[in-house]
Amino acid sequence: MKITQHATDTTLTLALNGELDASSSVLLDTELSKPEILRTQKVLIDCQQLNYISSAGLGVFISHLQTFQDANVKLVFFNMQEKVRNVFEILGLDSLMTIVPSEADAAAV
Amino acid sequence: MAVLRKPFSLLSVAVLLSWLALLAAALLYAHPGLGGVTLSPPAGLVLVLQALFTAVVFLYERKEPERLQGVNFIGLLQRLLLGPALLAVVSVGVHQLLQVLWPGSMAGSVLHTAFYTFNVGLFVLLLARTNYAWRALVLFRGTERLRRQWVAFEMMLGATLLLRLLPYAPPVGLSAAVLGVLAAFGAYLSGRQKWVAYLSRRQKLEAVLLQLAVIGVMGVFVAYFLYTRPAFRLVGPAPQNAFLLLNAFFAGFYALMGLLVTLFNLPTAGVFEQKREEILSMQRLTQLIQRGQTTDEVYQMFFDSAIQTTRADAAWLHIEGTAEEDHFDLYHQLPGEQAYAIRGLLSEFNLSNLEYFNNDLTGSSFRRLKLPFGSLMVMPLSSSKRQYGNIYLLQEPVQAFDRESLSILQTFASQTVLSIENLQLIQASLRTQRVQDELKIASAVQDSLIPKDLPIDNWFEISSYAVAATEVGGDFYDFLHLPGRRLAVLIGDVSGKGVTAAFHVAQMKGIFHALMQENPLARNEREKYPVPSQFMTQANDALGRCLEKSAFITASLYIIDYEHGGFVFARAGHCHTLYYHSIKEEVSYFQTPGLGLGIIRHEGYEKHIKNQFYDYNPGDVMVIYTDGIVEARDAAQNEYGEERLQLMLEQSYYLNADQIKAHILADLHEFTKGQPMHDDQTLLVIKFRSTQPEAGL
Repeated sequence: MKITQHATDTTLTLALNGELDASSSVLLDTELSKPEILRTQKVLIDCQQLNYISSAGLGVFISHLQTFQDANVKLVFFNMQEKVRNVFEILGLDSLMTIVPSEADAAAV
Repeated sequence: MAVLRKPFSLLSVAVLLSWLALLAAALLYAHPGLGGVTLSPPAGLVLVLQALFTAVVFLYERKEPERLQGVNFIGLLQRLLLGPALLAVVSVGVHQLLQVLWPGSMAGSVLHTAFYTFNVGLFVLLLARTNYAWRALVLFRGTERLRRQWVAFEMMLGATLLLRLLPYAPPVGLSAAVLGVLAAFGAYLSGRQKWVAYLSRRQKLEAVLLQLAVIGVMGVFVAYFLYTRPAFRLVGPAPQNAFLLLNAFFAGFYALMGLLVTLFNLPTAGVFEQKREEILSMQRLTQLIQRGQTTDEVYQMFFDSAIQTTRADAAWLHIEGTAEEDHFDLYHQLPGEQAYAIRGLLSEFNLSNLEYFNNDLTGSSFRRLKLPFGSLMVMPLSSSKRQYGNIYLLQEPVQAFDRESLSILQTFASQTVLSIENLQLIQASLRTQRVQDELKIASAVQDSLIPKDLPIDNWFEISSYAVAATEVGGDFYDFLHLPGRRLAVLIGDVSGKGVTAAFHVAQMKGIFHALMQENPLARNEREKYPVPSQFMTQANDALGRCLEKSAFITASLYIIDYEHGGFVFARAGHCHTLYYHSIKEEVSYFQTPGLGLGIIRHEGYEKHIKNQFYDYNPGDVMVIYTDGIVEARDAAQNEYGEERLQLMLEQSYYLNADQIKAHILADLHEFTKGQPMHDDQTLLVIKFRSTQPEAGL
């Protein structure tokens, strides 16, 4: 699992590369727990290279969902592979999180 | 008397007989006509009998079993002195006393002769005993060469006994030469004093006194024979007594040499003992580990050993734990503030964790601490893994420590660290064992939560399969019969694995049984039991208060009403239900929305969960499962997937529930062949039958 960051004044983009399982989700949790993240307006998650997400990985997003909402930070996923999107949908997360097809769509949210 | 200890031994009988013969001959020789016997034996016969007696006593003593037990040298000397030596001295003393008290009546009397002969016998016995005790000491840890030399010495001494039997006295020069050579041989053998090294300081002092006593006893006899000789003709000229003289010389000389060696060894005895003590401390330290003692005991042992072997006046052991509360200090005659002052000064010079010794504290920066000590030695306890702490040893004099003590301490320290690390390994393995045992219990408890008896009715068939990837799993399923021919079926999966997940499984089952109770306030039949969406909302509410933030649970609840041939279910983020519709002859998934439990913990969950109603037909098949089935992987990391599962049901829907399950599992196992199981797998197959079982498919 590799996480690449790209930040602008208002947006933080995290590109996830590999499999988000129990061990790598700790890395992601560290990134999402940084206090400065709550000062941005949008956190974009680039899922193009995300091949697999385990329940621990989903748990990381779920655990930060409320904090982000309270701080008015939008969490947007884009470029999601069909397989991964299916996992989000089965769990019903697509009704809570914004999942859009492309980076342009994500920027427009 | 020791001689009579074995009354049936041939030699002891010979000793007794030869002594009686000697006594009889001596009495008749000194007092012709005694008891009416007119025959007076020639002087030669008395000498021959005396030689015979001597030979027999020496042979007897020679055959005695080894007197030295292990390294109990002091015991050997004590037995010698308290046995024949004491007896001989007492007997000699009594005889001398009688001679002094009644000089007139004693001289030339029968009693005098008998006493004298008795004392000669005791002297011979004492000499024999002493010589063979010395043999044990000479040959202690000796070589085979030395053993042969000893035998040669014995033979030559034995040969001198024959001198007595010669009718004439050899020339003085020859006998003096023979005696001189043998005495030199004896003196040479007296140099073999290896045993002294095995004595402790106290034992050496004891040995000195005992050897003085041996020499003293020899002196008593020499004086006795010198004083008594003029009055009696028993002891012949010197060459004829060469054997006894040489033996007495050897007995005395060996004792003298031993005495000197022991005396000269006394000053170094302390060093020997210290070395011994070091070895013993090391042994104790090693044994402590084997007995599986605590680390505190090992530290205490190390501390005591270090103080003892370095003869420190004051000491401090400081152990830094991994956590604050693990700090550990041992003090010996040293106030804590002085200890910390020393430590502070050392760390000022960056010496706090190094081997260090300073033999002149008064001439260095330590002077400002005003310590009552002159020498300091510091040794860290450390391994390649970590630093455990330091020991500080102090002595009042300057120049008290040397490289030697530093290296001993070093050995102790490394042995201690080894012990500590061994102990930690043992404790860690014990802990692991305990956790494993507890996991087994948890596994057994969880196993008991899995319904063993599947509901049986002629309206449906149920077949189940559940395997956990680890000891305790996060998958669960359960059944509950509701009144009115209804059956509630719950399946679910707790995120994460292990004990935490297992607890949530138990919790979920509790919630299931608690919520699926008849509501006594229900206004109509419909409201008596919660519909699945209500159940999920209430369960979400209950779980929201206890699940950790990143954990969630997926579940599906089905309530099957087989009286009316329908079911209602809600899917809370759980895998879609696979279904065979017999009327359409089609296999498909129920695509219903629904959010997992514990994801949103505030009001509003009910908006995310829906009920799905369906009227089933006989022959319909419902396959419910957990993601461990569809996410199982093959060697190329491909997932089993919903499509393949669907295909399996398409191939097997016409079979009974058990057979359908077997068909799916056979394919799944074929797919995952050789791959480790990553997640728990649960699979339930429910097949609906027509009202009359025999009319079903």
